[in-house]
Amino acid sequence: MSIDQQAAARPSGQGDESPPSHPPPGYSLAFSHITKRYGDRAVVDDLTFTVQPGRVTGFLGRNGAGKSTTMKVLLGLASADQGRATIGGRSYRDLPDPARTVGVVLEPNAFHPGRSGRNHLRIVADAAGIDHSRVDEILGSVNLADEAADRRVGTYSLGMKQRLSLAAALLGDPQVLVLDEPANGLDPQGIRTLRELLRARAARGHTVLVSSHLLDEVEHLVDDVVVINEGKLIATGTIHDLQRTSTLVRTGSPEKLDDVLTAAGARVDHKDQTTLVVTDMAVDEIGEQAFVAGVPLHELSPQRGSLEDLFLEWTRNRANGEKEESLS
Amino acid sequence: MNWIHLVRSELRKLTTTRMPWAFLAVLAAIAAINATAVIAGTDMDGSKAFIATGADQQSLVAFAANGLMIAGLFGAIAAAREYGHKTVVPTFLAAPRRSSTVIAQYTAVAVGGGALGLVGAGLTVTALAVSLPATDYGFLISAGGVSQVLAAAMLAGAAGAVLGAGVGMVVRNTGGAVTGAVLALVVAPPLLVQLASSTASWIPNTLANVVSGVADNVAVPAAIAAIVVWALVPAGIGLVAVQRRDVA
Repeated sequence: MSIDQQAAARPSGQGDESPPSHPPPGYSLAFSHITKRYGDRAVVDDLTFTVQPGRVTGFLGRNGAGKSTTMKVLLGLASADQGRATIGGRSYRDLPDPARTVGVVLEPNAFHPGRSGRNHLRIVADAAGIDHSRVDEILGSVNLADEAADRRVGTYSLGMKQRLSLAAALLGDPQVLVLDEPANGLDPQGIRTLRELLRARAARGHTVLVSSHLLDEVEHLVDDVVVINEGKLIATGTIHDLQRTSTLVRTGSPEKLDDVLTAAGARVDHKDQTTLVVTDMAVDEIGEQAFVAGVPLHELSPQRGSLEDLFLEWTRNRANGEKEESLS
Repeated sequence: MNWIHLVRSELRKLTTTRMPWAFLAVLAAIAAINATAVIAGTDMDGSKAFIATGADQQSLVAFAANGLMIAGLFGAIAAAREYGHKTVVPTFLAAPRRSSTVIAQYTAVAVGGGALGLVGAGLTVTALAVSLPATDYGFLISAGGVSQVLAAAMLAGAAGAVLGAGVGMVVRNTGGAVTGAVLALVVAPPLLVQLASSTASWIPNTLANVVSGVADNVAVPAAIAAIVVWALVPAGIGLVAVQRRDVA
């Protein structure tokens, strides 16, 4: 059964954007005040957030924002200068069976080029005490069975290497997936397969943390997002809420409404001569403020911005020294 | 996670690339050179005195010193390439307690190095036996002598591989690790002897020859212990380094 088929056989959970009222039992990932310095530079700076089971969480930021380092701290590959990262309340090294608990895609080329894909997985399976029959099974599920599995990894395309990495991550059928840029090099079919796999895993109550610097790529994949920039948290929450952080207001009296809303604590940008983009205020309150002020409205609509637009806005806000935006 | 599983995994790493074949080719080449020397070579006076007695022949095939060097390179490459190719990452993810993993790696390279030493000595002894009929001499090494040569080469190979792996874990770069192993096994010992002549009996080559039964500078048990110490010092440094450092 391929990953596609496995995913199709289970409830997808796609479109379920609100958090479950009773989170399913599983492993939550907790990052508490993580700071990691290289020399004088803080690559990760007092980072605190939680990843819930049953959700696909996107870990977003530019290249060099500190995503991989944060993941390495979680996985015990790098030590934090301050803070603690845990999986189900335990540090990675204290997990009783880490390979069967956490599946990881971390380094894009963590293979010996002269070794076959099958032997790479056998080595991982040996270390984790996993039966080799599982290797053949998982190779088939990532479409690397037969001839491809016995070819040297040095001859693989980037997409094949990514699929092999994913196979290694899934080898122990873990409850937690920590994937660093897993879609790099995948073709559209591979990205779709990955998306279905991760959705299916989350639907089963598993915990999925996926990092990416390609915001559009994960926009349709994740339930929650954690956005970092220069090692610092700049936004976290459900993607549904984050994408509704602004409201488009069309009125014949934009200047008057701007004054009213700004005085009430909203941030107002002028899109054109009759249209305002209002943030930091709920749609209902904007309507009430306009009514009280006697300003007629021609349109009042929540905006669903792209992650990319939102990310640029958040990082601009950070650069301007504005307050942190957290909707968690 | 079980330590035996880790050793199996590490052994599979060693046997699933072409590296062992390259080292076996080197061993075969050394044996062929020895055979050529036996058939065509002479001493300065034109005689073949270098194969005239059992002791001479045992000196010729005493492979332990070569095994130490070759296995040192083997261990250095095996350990350093783990970091170069980042294949150590999935290993540390499967077994996050690094001391267990590192000891499994040392165990595996010791097995590999010991095998290289044994095969190298076996090929060299075989090359001598095959080439002697082309001379006026027969095979004069006793069964005990052959056993000692083989056992010494195996021990030296295991020790050399662990030494090299220790260097590889500290340096984490294949070229640097090879250079480090050469420095530790070839360059540093003579310098040590120059600094303190009393150390001449305790450098790796001398100790390997003692264990092979072709030198008697120190007692064999002491030589074995000293070879083990030569291996364990860099191995210990490597173990500490791996535990303290981030995996980049």
